[in-house]
Amino acid sequence: MNNQDLLYHYFSNSLTAEQEALFQNLLETDPDFKAQFKLEEDLQKAIKSTHTDRLKKKLQGFENQLDKPKTTIFNHRNLAIAASIALLIGWFGYNTLFNTNYNSLYDTNFSAYPNTVYTITRSDDAKSIEREAFVAYETKNYQIAIEKFDAIPKEAKENYINFYKAQAFLGLNNSEEAKNLFAQVVQENQGFEAESTWYLALIAVKAQDKDLAKTYLEDLITNYTYNKDKAEKLLKELK
Amino acid sequence: MHRVQENITIEDLKQGSDLLFKRIYEDNRDKFINFARKYHLPQEDVIDVYQDAYIIFYNNVMQGKIEEFTSSISTYLFSIGKYLIFDKMKKNNKTINPDFDLSLIREKEELVDSNLDLDQGELTTEQVLLKKYFGTLGKKCQELLTLFYYRGYSIKDIIEASEYTSENVVKSAKSRCMKTLKERINSNQ
Repeated sequence: MNNQDLLYHYFSNSLTAEQEALFQNLLETDPDFKAQFKLEEDLQKAIKSTHTDRLKKKLQGFENQLDKPKTTIFNHRNLAIAASIALLIGWFGYNTLFNTNYNSLYDTNFSAYPNTVYTITRSDDAKSIEREAFVAYETKNYQIAIEKFDAIPKEAKENYINFYKAQAFLGLNNSEEAKNLFAQVVQENQGFEAESTWYLALIAVKAQDKDLAKTYLEDLITNYTYNKDKAEKLLKELK
Repeated sequence: MHRVQENITIEDLKQGSDLLFKRIYEDNRDKFINFARKYHLPQEDVIDVYQDAYIIFYNNVMQGKIEEFTSSISTYLFSIGKYLIFDKMKKNNKTINPDFDLSLIREKEELVDSNLDLDQGELTTEQVLLKKYFGTLGKKCQELLTLFYYRGYSIKDIIEASEYTSENVVKSAKSRCMKTLKERINSNQ
């Protein structure tokens, strides 16, 4: 084991007693080792501080949402108006869409959203319908997933169910049902709004509705951080 | 909503879901404000302390310092929050009443878990520089170094959790990132 390996083990908290003794000895006798350790220890604090700043910003964002629930409603109403206008413009501007390969843009940007809400290995409620739904979702049995999502009793239905149900519809190429559910998720404002806006944009791309897609992308870029880079790139490609 | 909270495990939190992060914040917020009422702090300060307590709790989970929950999440938040409030009062030379000896209370042993790292990250000059240039690294380097130093992943853990295929690939990617970081710091000194 070389000195670098000792440092790897130190930072993953996996030094054996023997390695620990060697580590302490090197710190006292080898100035280069000590300097390298100090650098990595400082970097550890710097990275933690970076994450702390990001978390604090997120929490302040939550707090602002709690303070001003009306702002988001206002934004969404604006979005609805903009979307209606975009639909009209989209209709008349149909011919200008000619040169864009919408299917390829959709395929490049689409990936099914991973299950981040339900841990399937969790054993405490292993028999629940929600678990069965997510097992079906993860194994891409989307029709079954939809049936199971629907079978979850109303009082046990979490806010994220509609989002994943919409994903399952996308998996079945049923954009219409998916679109309605994503729009509902955005309207309800209980989480996954940004993600839903992204998928609404992709559905609009697939439907070759350039202006509606742009409206959703602009909304995403202005109001959220999710997929911001991708959204900016896609927006450029649509222009 | 409460049903979910009771079932939350360390592993759930470690997956880094934003939705869960938000839900825990919202579920405990009012309870914390109620709990902190007895310290007569302005509402703004209470929210600030609540956020800092939550971040400390979350960092400890992500860094693997809490291995399993020995109490409910709200107990952790109250315990850390109380520590922070007393720390704040001590710094401001305020006491709740003259008979109250703060030093008795703010000992770490009073905490729900004595392994908790309560460091709120005041940085040295070197650390400030590292933080600045860490922020200029590419996404991949930031993620890799985060797994190493923030999450405390071993090389094997990193191979399992990422696209890296072998130990050597991880090691060389990491040393390239470190080299870039050092070069950027040195060329801007």
